[in-house]
Amino acid sequence: MLVVASITLITLSERGSLRGAIGSAKRLAHDAFAPVPRGVDRALRPVGSMLSGVVHYGALQQENVTLRRELQRLQGRALRQGEQLRVAKQLSDLQHVDALPGVSSIPTVTAQVVALNSSDFADTVDLSKGTAAGIDVGMPVVTGSGLVGRVVQAWASGCTVRLITDTSSAVSVDFGVGATTDTAVLSGKGHGDPLEVDFVPPGVPLHRGTILVTSGLQHGLFPAGLPVATVTKVSSSASATQQTIAAQPTADLASLQYVDILQWQPPPLPGGVS
Amino acid sequence: MKAVDIVRVSVVLVVGLVVQHTLLDVVTVGGAHPDLMLLLAAAGGYSAGPDRGAGFGFATGLLADLFLPTTFGLSALVFCMVGYVTAVVTAGLVRSSWWLPPVTFAAATAAGLSGYAILGAVLGQPGMIAADLVPALTVAVPAAAVLALPALRMVAWALPAPASGLAPGSGSTLGAGR
Repeated sequence: MLVVASITLITLSERGSLRGAIGSAKRLAHDAFAPVPRGVDRALRPVGSMLSGVVHYGALQQENVTLRRELQRLQGRALRQGEQLRVAKQLSDLQHVDALPGVSSIPTVTAQVVALNSSDFADTVDLSKGTAAGIDVGMPVVTGSGLVGRVVQAWASGCTVRLITDTSSAVSVDFGVGATTDTAVLSGKGHGDPLEVDFVPPGVPLHRGTILVTSGLQHGLFPAGLPVATVTKVSSSASATQQTIAAQPTADLASLQYVDILQWQPPPLPGGVS
Repeated sequence: MKAVDIVRVSVVLVVGLVVQHTLLDVVTVGGAHPDLMLLLAAAGGYSAGPDRGAGFGFATGLLADLFLPTTFGLSALVFCMVGYVTAVVTAGLVRSSWWLPPVTFAAATAAGLSGYAILGAVLGQPGMIAADLVPALTVAVPAAAVLALPALRMVAWALPAPASGLAPGSGSTLGAGR
């Protein structure tokens, strides 16, 4: 009986028949649950941090050494090149989201990353802004460096973003210039793994270092021109029907803290088809 | 099920959810973290037998599904089966060894995660097997062994073994409902 009930839920969920009801139930659950972790978090966060520190002790030690070296290097540079540092800061500020092509005209909401993967089988982050701040499912999420992902769940005080590295993520991207622009599909291969660029036939020129940007195809999921990834590896064999291409996200997904949510929705399909 | 049992089960599920989201979700290695909710489902089967274990697993999975971006109902199905199978497999075992719950729950977690990934692949997400399963197993299975005894204590408080029940929980030193 319970198995049948579960399979029915899965079937209705996959077919979209219960999308509204399930979405409402998830929003209600998140809204009801949201105050609980905040209170408990204050008490348990030190324990979680301690556990995390134990698990990542080696990496943290290495990071500590690296950061100390970086600090020394920057202190030395600051003493010698104060003026250059100021210029570097200005350049860094220019890399804000408004500088991304096609984004300046879209309203944005800045949010903080409050939680990482809620599931072992989905590469996601939870953000601190939700429907109360005008966030809705489907909105793209970016940093100053490029595309991060897309909102897949939203409730009053937060939302969940599926990262472009998630295995179920696929982004239509463009590369090339002018008349020689080509389109491909960028697929996630899991946490920390390079992205895969599909549907690039042999002979199409694509080189290491090429920046892939969202294609903005009609009714696409993202606005056109957002940087998504940089090509890191290209190979092809004589018998292959497409090139084997790996790419790295332009945004640093490993250390996300603050992101911008673009209040942009894909245009509806003709005839109201969703 | 009596009202007091429903309250106890609700308390265990909410505590499990809070611990998962505030404590265990922080402990990520390679994008994976311990899965307390799946562990509770296995403990439910171990402690309360096949029928109640399956029901407890279903409730646990349904609650987990509300907070996951994956297909709704997937956890409910997998956790329900984990609860049932754990009960059936361990029904004939003498439960005097302290190491039995850790080993059982580690195996149940491995089976549950594998089943979850296989069903996800069947539903059109092959990456759940190809990319996500190995990190999940690497982290969640040892964590299940470590967390087995406290999880069993919690679940046994909420779901004591049936009064006549010589099968589930009989002879248990960890005890159902003691």
